[in-house]
Amino acid sequence: MAKALRVRFQPPLAVTLLILGFFVFIPMVSAFEYSIRTPLTGGYGWTHYLWAIREEEFFHYIFRSGWLAGLTVLITLIVLVPTMTWLHVSKSPIRPLIDGISLLPLVIPVVAFAVGAQISFPEFVQNTVLELPFLYFVLALPYAYRSLDIGLNSIPLKTITEAARSAGANWWRTITAVIVPVIRGSVMATIALTFALSLGEYTLTVLLHWDTFPTWVTFVAQDNILGAIAISMMSLIIPFLILTVITLFVPERSMQGRK
Amino acid sequence: MSSKSLSLRNISKRFGNVIALDNFNLEVGVGELVALLGPSGCGKTTALRVVAGLEHQDAGTVLVADKNISDVPAHKRNMGMVFQAYSLFPNLTVEENVAFGLQMRKVSKHLRLKKAHELLDLVGLDSQSKRFTHQLSGGQQQRVALARALAFEPEILLLDEPLSALDAQVRVNLREEIRRLQLSLGTTTLFVTHDQEEAMAISDRVGVMNSGVLEQIDTPDALYNKPASSFVASFVGTMNRIPAHISDGMVEIFGSKVVALKRGNENGKVHALIRPESISVVATTAQGNAKVLTRSFMGASSNIICQTSDGTIVQSLMTSASTGDLLPGSSVQLRVLSSEVLVANV
Ligand SMILES: Nc1ncnc2c1ncn2[C@@H]1O[C@H](COP(=O)(O)OP(=O)(O)OP(=O)(O)O)[C@@H](O)[C@H]1O
Ligand SMILES: [Mg+2]
Repeated sequence: MAKALRVRFQPPLAVTLLILGFFVFIPMVSAFEYSIRTPLTGGYGWTHYLWAIREEEFFHYIFRSGWLAGLTVLITLIVLVPTMTWLHVSKSPIRPLIDGISLLPLVIPVVAFAVGAQISFPEFVQNTVLELPFLYFVLALPYAYRSLDIGLNSIPLKTITEAARSAGANWWRTITAVIVPVIRGSVMATIALTFALSLGEYTLTVLLHWDTFPTWVTFVAQDNILGAIAISMMSLIIPFLILTVITLFVPERSMQGRK
Repeated sequence: MSSKSLSLRNISKRFGNVIALDNFNLEVGVGELVALLGPSGCGKTTALRVVAGLEHQDAGTVLVADKNISDVPAHKRNMGMVFQAYSLFPNLTVEENVAFGLQMRKVSKHLRLKKAHELLDLVGLDSQSKRFTHQLSGGQQQRVALARALAFEPEILLLDEPLSALDAQVRVNLREEIRRLQLSLGTTTLFVTHDQEEAMAISDRVGVMNSGVLEQIDTPDALYNKPASSFVASFVGTMNRIPAHISDGMVEIFGSKVVALKRGNENGKVHALIRPESISVVATTAQGNAKVLTRSFMGASSNIICQTSDGTIVQSLMTSASTGDLLPGSSVQLRVLSSEVLVANV
């Protein structure tokens, strides 16, 4: 027993864990501990959490950020999956170009991007909050693109696509009934990455004068830092719940199909 | 019967500078199995893909039952296709793979699974229907692919070297199975292969392709015995090319004269094209016209390789009983058994 549990010391792994522990885990635990302190009694309590869930705005903003992120995911999948499937199947010579373009959002400064958007976008676009999912799509593009790319590269895409087409599937059915289920893992990763990025996006949202969950949390933090910590802690749980629900809804057996 | 006839008329297709199909013509009758045979890169796969609609021809028309389908997209062509590479859907079970075509045709789940089981039964895999495809052997996967291609009762079945990734024994079994199924379902079939034995064994007719054109299409028998070109003659079966002299329609080989079947030069130096079974090797005590190099015993028959006095290597196929004294190094007399031979220009 003791033998089986003995893990050999791995210096690189140890360093990674050390950095993660120091810069992520310890601050998180400390923040949590701080947020449940009750200075008057010297003990712990849920005062700030109870305050947060009694706050109407908490649910208002969680819900708003949630559907904006959901919409971003939808846009990402509807736009990227067919485009990238086509790029892969057709062995198009412009694919390296698109690969490069997909990385651009990583290097464009968000501030410049936001100002440019305000100057150039027509009034009716700037007046609707629906501009956000499209902008989030662009911000998440490098990650979404990469993770779909990995999935599409890992399967014999051309043969599978042609098999589906000759068996009578049009492009739409080929993508929905065959390709997406086959690269299910990387589609899930794309969903998770895009959702998390959209849910947490702050800079661009604030610069464009929209209120979402992250901007609200920052606003609250200005005069109730403990309340803001409590809110953030709770918002961590929500994506976790969503991912759990997704996993429950996807039947177990289709996972076995993947090698 | 949903099977239809297939015609390719003057099909041309190029990829950049490469001419894959050059004014290609082919007719396949209802319920017929035609094999396309040819060296690598001659355009076999391209021809098949044009029929399937996976590639669009630059010129020419594809007709199914005399209807031009050149502009019909692949998914509406109703053609079953089996690929060289394993192409099953890894997210689906065996039965779901087979039922896929029917699902796309909006057949009810009950009916399509029933049909899938019928086909799995025909290819001997009904017991594996609930498994996932990566749990199957290569031969089993190609059987499932065949069942999937046949489940929606295609008008035409297209097979692109479906056996080439399998080992010898499985190949032979599966090709017989393909033929049996094809005959019992009566499906018009185009079968691409570069294995001539495979093509000859199961086809009604074999088309021999060379650089994008159909050199000859005929029954295996006619192809073997009456090749229309020296390319076909050499590509199909084993053929000796023996330097000889032709004059007045007679070829002189191994010291005797034989009628030349017209082709090539009328006079001068030619190659006589002679099958191994048309050459007899007899041991002589006197100075013969050749020497035995090797003798390989193959059961009922034996393969004798000889070298003539002018250095030409000649292969002969004889019943083993008459080869007992043909030891390597022994002096022999070669003789042509047929009364006519094909000739080709040198
Ligand atoms: N998508 C393509 N792009 C460029 N060239 C191609 C393409 N497909 C085929 N070719 C070329 O066209 C010619 C015919 O190819 P094809 O695949 O039809 O040959 P094949 O007879 O099936 O050969 P093999 O026995 O090796 O499968 C080849 O020279 C090949 O390189
Ligand atoms: Mg080929």
